[in-house]
Amino acid sequence: MASTDDGGGAKPVGFDSLRRLKSTEPPLFLSPSPDLSQAARLASQYLFSSLKPFAPKSPFSQLLTEGFDAEQIWQQIDLQSQPLLLSLRRHVRHFEKNPEEIQKQFDLDRDRFGDSRKEETEDGDGDDKLVSREGNKSDGLESEGESFDEDEEDEVEEEEEEEEEEEEDGPDDGEMDNEEKGNADGVEDKFLKIKELEEYLVDDEEKEYGLKKEKKKRKRGEITDKDEDEDEEGDKEDEEDDEEEDNELGLMGLDDDDEEEDGSKMGTARYEDFFGAKRTGQGKKSQVFGGSDDLDMDDGNNNQKNNLSTHEKELEKLRSEIETMENANLEPKTWRMQGEVTAAKRPKNSALEVDLDFEHNVRPAPVITEEVTVSLEELIQKRILEGRFDDVQKPPTLPSRPPREKIELDENKSKKGLAALYEDEYVQKTGFISTALSFSDEQKKEASMLFKKLCLKLDALSHFHFTPKPVIEDMSIQANVPALAMEEIAPLAVSDAAMLAPEELFAGKGDIKEETELTKAERKRRRANKKRKFKAEATKRVTRKVQQNSVMNSAGGNDES
Amino acid sequence: MSSATVNGGEAATGMDIEAAAVQASTPAATNTVPFAQKPNFKPLKAHEISDGQTQFRKVPVPPHRYTPLKKAWMEIYTPIYEHMKIDIRMNLKARRVELKTRQDTPDVSNLQKCADFVHAFMLGFDVIDAVALLRLDELYAESFEIKDVKTLRGEHLSRAIGRLSGKGGKTKFAIENATKTRIVIADTKIHILGSFSNIKVARDSLCSLILGSPAGKVYSKLRAVTARMAERF
Repeated sequence: MASTDDGGGAKPVGFDSLRRLKSTEPPLFLSPSPDLSQAARLASQYLFSSLKPFAPKSPFSQLLTEGFDAEQIWQQIDLQSQPLLLSLRRHVRHFEKNPEEIQKQFDLDRDRFGDSRKEETEDGDGDDKLVSREGNKSDGLESEGESFDEDEEDEVEEEEEEEEEEEEDGPDDGEMDNEEKGNADGVEDKFLKIKELEEYLVDDEEKEYGLKKEKKKRKRGEITDKDEDEDEEGDKEDEEDDEEEDNELGLMGLDDDDEEEDGSKMGTARYEDFFGAKRTGQGKKSQVFGGSDDLDMDDGNNNQKNNLSTHEKELEKLRSEIETMENANLEPKTWRMQGEVTAAKRPKNSALEVDLDFEHNVRPAPVITEEVTVSLEELIQKRILEGRFDDVQKPPTLPSRPPREKIELDENKSKKGLAALYEDEYVQKTGFISTALSFSDEQKKEASMLFKKLCLKLDALSHFHFTPKPVIEDMSIQANVPALAMEEIAPLAVSDAAMLAPEELFAGKGDIKEETELTKAERKRRRANKKRKFKAEATKRVTRKVQQNSVMNSAGGNDES
Repeated sequence: MSSATVNGGEAATGMDIEAAAVQASTPAATNTVPFAQKPNFKPLKAHEISDGQTQFRKVPVPPHRYTPLKKAWMEIYTPIYEHMKIDIRMNLKARRVELKTRQDTPDVSNLQKCADFVHAFMLGFDVIDAVALLRLDELYAESFEIKDVKTLRGEHLSRAIGRLSGKGGKTKFAIENATKTRIVIADTKIHILGSFSNIKVARDSLCSLILGSPAGKVYSKLRAVTARMAERF
């Protein structure tokens, strides 16, 4: 009520503002001016209030602009206009099919224009009415909208989208109608129509993504009209935010990329492009849409993967890798990674396939080749010829202690008397005269003497240890041997101190001459002397014999006589 | 005989010294307790021991030692008469050697030593070995019989005797040399001449031989004994 009154009072204001906006040059919209924004707000208010009677269900009786964001304002407008546009389209379609009704409408319009809006019980009549009313308004809207750059494009895009959607929605609606006719009893009433709700939601989302595309396009290409346009867009967006916040957050990034790459595909954008897979926040809506969405989603998935950017692809790859690795970590490890694995714990013959490496503590057996055999045989033959068998020889046992003196018992009659024995014993005890008592000492002495002689000879040969020849103090026959032997093999000097004196060697008197030195006369003399001696001895012997014989004869004679 | 009294009795040649000693002690005796001075005596002569009477020893001569005695008489007589200063004579009728002390016999024990010496000769020892008795004091002659050790009869006895002496007497000589003794085996009687410990060793080995141990065993024991004895020096 109040709104209508205000609408009536504001009418000229609204018109004025609209006109003003229309008349302003487009470049002026670039710079933000409060006048223009105020004008825009007023114009929007006017439009809103004028459209209100035809809008099927709008919660706002009046467009609230004061203290509201551009986005919020736009949201309000959108709330109103969306279902309105839908119904208008429906009417247009209807009229397309049934052209004769247009005439009827025009005839009826004059009658019913002034009437207040009736509550509609039937969809068809209501729609027709709406179409008829809204057709004017939509035309008006459209004509007015064309003045706005952004609105034109927006409308064009939206129309395109909505046309496509409506083509789809046609069968969808049909299906939905079939499905939900049954449910209609409890849920639906004159206020809440589920079909309309669904359609509205779909359109809303489309518009939202159409808006996003538009926004991206702006950001990419166009510099002009940025601020103003953003304000305008912000208004529209605000209306959407209340319902579509989740969707925006969930799908913004992907859709932005999507829109940037596929500019050409803008026109052919489909529901599945945006709502391809069942993502978060879409749970309710996807369930609501049911089977139809499943088909769309499969297609949507493929399309989405093709449409990903490089960065997206890399991220996708990484994620998949991470996922596989995490899964692998969660699973139990392969038998190769486990510690001690017995045969029971691993599959059969699995150890054969694995390249195992372990230490062999045993030297591998030598490979017997012909060469090895030949070499061995050669060695054996050589050894046999040499006679060098490496026989094991017993090591000489070292005596732990020196061998005890073996006491030999003398079994002969002792030469010494008992007194002498005790005398010797006493003497030894007192230590008066040191003498070797035991019988074995003599043999020892002899042995030691022999050994010393041998050692001397050996030392002389080797020159290492010089020991002078021992001076043996015996009362023995003095041999004509030098007492000292020098160090060298051939003694340079030999002392003849111990030699026999010439007198000892030969005792004779006179001038001694050898046989060779003798003269002839002397030789004759010597021979003569020798003869004389011999003769003298011979005669002596003869006489002695004669004497003996004579004695014996005489003795014998005496006996006889 | 000294009969020196403190009172100073009869005049004797030894008295002068004692009188002097008494005179010296008498002035001191008045001051202290009177001690009896230990008398100094010269050693007694053999003659004086027996109060001037001679002593005799008689050693019978067994028939089997008669001829050896005759042969070795001078070797026996000389050391006794010259060195020991003992009169010695052979009583042919009684078949015994008689010994008598002289006045200038220096020691009392000479007579006994000479008697032992002659007795040892009568047992069967050589003069050279028996003379040791005269020269050394601590030599003894021990005798025992085989039957004292073990009762053996007939062939066993003969075998025992054979075992004791060994082949050509080598076992006996081995024992003699090892123990510094002299052994005489006369049928069943065995005489050993030597110092006390040596006699014991010889006796042990002879007894083991009598009892039946082989000569080798006895030899090994003897060797041990000899080694021990040699180690002492």
